[in-house]
Amino acid sequence: MKRSTQIGLTAAGVLLAASAWSMLSGEDEKLVYADVGECKNAGQLPPGECEARFADAQAGHVRDAKKFSNTSECEAEYGTGRCETRTVNGVGMVVPALAGMVLARTLFGGGRRAEPLLPPTRQACPPGSQAPECQPASRSSGTSSSSHVSGGSAARSRAYTTMSGQALVANGGTAHASVASRGGFGSIGHSFGASSS
Amino acid sequence: MQRLAPRRRPDWDAQVERLGFSFHTPEGETYWDESVAYSFTLRQIEEDIEAPTGEIEELCLAFVARAVEDEAILSRLAIPPAMWPLVRESWRRGERNLYGRLDLAYGGRGPAKLLEYNADTPTAILEASVVQWDWLETAMAGGLISRGSDQYNSIHEKLVAAFATITTPAPPRLHFTSMADVPEDRGTVAYLEDCAAQAGHKTRFVTIESVGLLSDGRFCDAEGEPIAALFKLYPWEWMFRERYADALGRSACRFIEPPWKALLSNKGLLPYLWEMFPGHPNLLPAFFEGDPGAGALGRRYVRKPLLSREGANVALVEDGIVRDSDDGPYGEEGFILQDAATIPDFGGRYPVLGSWLVASQPCGLGIREDASSITKNTSRFVPHLIEA
Repeated sequence: MKRSTQIGLTAAGVLLAASAWSMLSGEDEKLVYADVGECKNAGQLPPGECEARFADAQAGHVRDAKKFSNTSECEAEYGTGRCETRTVNGVGMVVPALAGMVLARTLFGGGRRAEPLLPPTRQACPPGSQAPECQPASRSSGTSSSSHVSGGSAARSRAYTTMSGQALVANGGTAHASVASRGGFGSIGHSFGASSS
Repeated sequence: MQRLAPRRRPDWDAQVERLGFSFHTPEGETYWDESVAYSFTLRQIEEDIEAPTGEIEELCLAFVARAVEDEAILSRLAIPPAMWPLVRESWRRGERNLYGRLDLAYGGRGPAKLLEYNADTPTAILEASVVQWDWLETAMAGGLISRGSDQYNSIHEKLVAAFATITTPAPPRLHFTSMADVPEDRGTVAYLEDCAAQAGHKTRFVTIESVGLLSDGRFCDAEGEPIAALFKLYPWEWMFRERYADALGRSACRFIEPPWKALLSNKGLLPYLWEMFPGHPNLLPAFFEGDPGAGALGRRYVRKPLLSREGANVALVEDGIVRDSDDGPYGEEGFILQDAATIPDFGGRYPVLGSWLVASQPCGLGIREDASSITKNTSRFVPHLIEA
């Protein structure tokens, strides 16, 4: 037979899409969560994945965070109440507290990697800032257990600092590159009419 | 090869609309016409259409391999120099192509002749893949054609299979684009989107006009989601010349068709094929306009712009006199001259065979019939069968 054996037009194949890709709504959209509870509530990752990725982030936090010898130095950069004392190799150090994690996927790259996030710097969120992303979280502070996080709290925008020192603003749990422009395609087509052949 | 006149299915319009084929009678003009059907023998299909289609595709790929390394060819095809790296890299990286349609002149005897290659934005795929397939099944069931007939048409299953492997690893979402307000293009894209979904892809449509550019250099859809892979029913030669052309190179976007297909959808392909494979039985003599070699053309030849769609600006010249031409906005980039093929005359009707390739594999046939020997946007799509 020289013809197709069957033709489905029902898009039923959508059911086949249950791969890892389908868990993220966009490829290297970054998923940002303040804690495990927020990650679980968002429903974008399986609960076990949330816990495992937060464990990654916590493990990397003290190792990679910028270290200060006293609290006032740290707070001068990150703001009042955003630092904590940790013991590293038997020595007491002050580091900015773990504020969340970001999951990124590099373009066509495969694996998911969780990075710890730090609180916003004073430069990004000066004291008294009215910017919505700078408002303190309404969750119980300092814990990353499965605390109660309201949907509203998870959906609002929030400022962080990445381990490499960049400011990051997450909106509703995801951080995007911003749209710089539109309309760069289509102009010739409009002068011609049909585009196919 | 015979021209049959089967009865229409009584509810043919409802039958084809059920398949998502809404553009069967655009602006009141018949486009889908099942009161006509062409019948072939299996030998004609396999030896005269399928095998030569695969062979022509090999010639074309040999041409691409040469052209990407040859700036004289890229210039002659009017590819803007700034786009050469994009075209070249897409070929060197082995970016896979989805589909294409060779237009062939064939009347049942002798070798089919290549008229042109719609390699970038071919259309009439839903008609060929689905609508004529369903016509065959229901017309056989209704006794309108011989039971036991077959059709050269595994386009659908080849498309689904091709989408499953076209980008590895699969992108998080495959975006599809065409111009807003062109219903037949939107219908074509919706069908291909369905095929991709059946292959397991998440898909989303975005009009070409609303594609955006992100601050990090990637393209994005209307909702701001980055576009990792984009099926575009919008020709490369336009994208190469629009404002976002400069952004193509660093967009990290995989395009379907890939940029190297721009070398095949260009009529300049035809003189180069004739130069590389002179005398090939499935090729017509062809030359760039102004080439002294064009003196070898016969007394009837066709003048075609390098870049043109739907037969626009194509003229038939006989003994130096223009016999038939179609107006249009093309021609700025130059013309080629090609020996006039004999388009078979079936009682004043001229069928042109669209021989489909999916992932470079020959897999089906769609026929457009016109009252003139130049296929135009006004030609009718008619189904075919392989006789029992």
